[in-house]
Amino acid sequence: MKLKQGSFLWYLYLDKLYCLLSVRNVKALLEYFHLLDVHHNNTLNDVLFYHFLRHVTSWKRTQIMIVFNMLDWNAMGEIGFDQFYMLVCILLAQQNHLEEQFIFRHSRPVFELLDLDGELRIGADHFHMYNFLFNIKKQELRELYHDFDITGDRTFLTDPEAQTLTFSINVTFYGKGKPKHIIELYKSTDTTKRL
Amino acid sequence: MEEKPFRAPLGSRDSDDSSPDNDTRNLWTRATLSQPKLNVPRSKICDDSDAEGSSLGSKTRRGYSRKAGRESGGGWEEREDGEDKVGCRPGDLHGHLSLEMELRRGSILGSHLEEDVDSKTETEVSSSESWLSMSRHTPHGAYWIEQQNRLPLPLMEVVENEALEILTKALWSEDGPDHFLTKHLQRYIEGLKRRRSKRLHLVMY
Repeated sequence: MKLKQGSFLWYLYLDKLYCLLSVRNVKALLEYFHLLDVHHNNTLNDVLFYHFLRHVTSWKRTQIMIVFNMLDWNAMGEIGFDQFYMLVCILLAQQNHLEEQFIFRHSRPVFELLDLDGELRIGADHFHMYNFLFNIKKQELRELYHDFDITGDRTFLTDPEAQTLTFSINVTFYGKGKPKHIIELYKSTDTTKRL
Repeated sequence: MEEKPFRAPLGSRDSDDSSPDNDTRNLWTRATLSQPKLNVPRSKICDDSDAEGSSLGSKTRRGYSRKAGRESGGGWEEREDGEDKVGCRPGDLHGHLSLEMELRRGSILGSHLEEDVDSKTETEVSSSESWLSMSRHTPHGAYWIEQQNRLPLPLMEVVENEALEILTKALWSEDGPDHFLTKHLQRYIEGLKRRRSKRLHLVMY
């Protein structure tokens, strides 16, 4: 995915350490959001959201609707500024190749985003569905599950495991470590002793 | 920014009625006499811009113009040294000085302006210091206060133009032309277009 050159989002940037926008950028983004909020509900409905993403990204319709359903936490058919801000941060992280850093810094919100049905579990299908968001490739997913799916049900548990999982995602996917070390680390941090 | 000449409201004995500019420049000169170690004193810039062949002044001017060129696109960012924002043109400087004096008047006891130069007290030295530090950190105060509250106009233009494009495309794709939301969107877009054309009209004229 590439942001449209010359668009407003293209001029924004994330803080490279915390992967968040500065206060000034948030202020500008808020003005932008208010301009798009035609009906003055402090929200964007699905039509406006679709046309916004269609204008600034190269995503297809299905991808845009997947993102909308992911962000529409309350199933109201519209998204507020909090979700909009989260989306913009994800877009900018992808644009600037900061996906790894972004997931590392915001592992809990990312986990909750991927956990669509709220079961505190995310499976391979979640990753497949959202790989266009974080640039996670299929082969890397396969390797991850091969290393960590100890229960064999193709899902991961949350809480301490989520933190370790996130670390391992960074390490495995982005090539900074070897699977053996990851497994050892995982076992050492498994406080629930269920695996 | 106000361009009116500075008038010492507390009856400075040294005021020269025939030339208010000289008063201001004298004040600048006197104010920095007690501050020999300032890196880039404004009086130095002012005096050197009048004097011919001062190498420091010319170097400073060159330095300022270089900085101005480099930072021309950085309207959002605050600069470390407030003096970087000051140009060396006499007209700009005069207006700037009047604003500086207004700020100074607001924060320092007025009796300092009445004292003779030769009888500077410690209070005046410290007040000069505080004035200089304040003026260094808060030049163009009104401008920066506005910047804190509003977005710069060029950025607003980019944002509005893009929002207009997106909303126009959304309108074309609406299936229900008689639906109240579609009509609401249409009215909103027309309002945005009117606002944009007014702004362009103002810019052109």
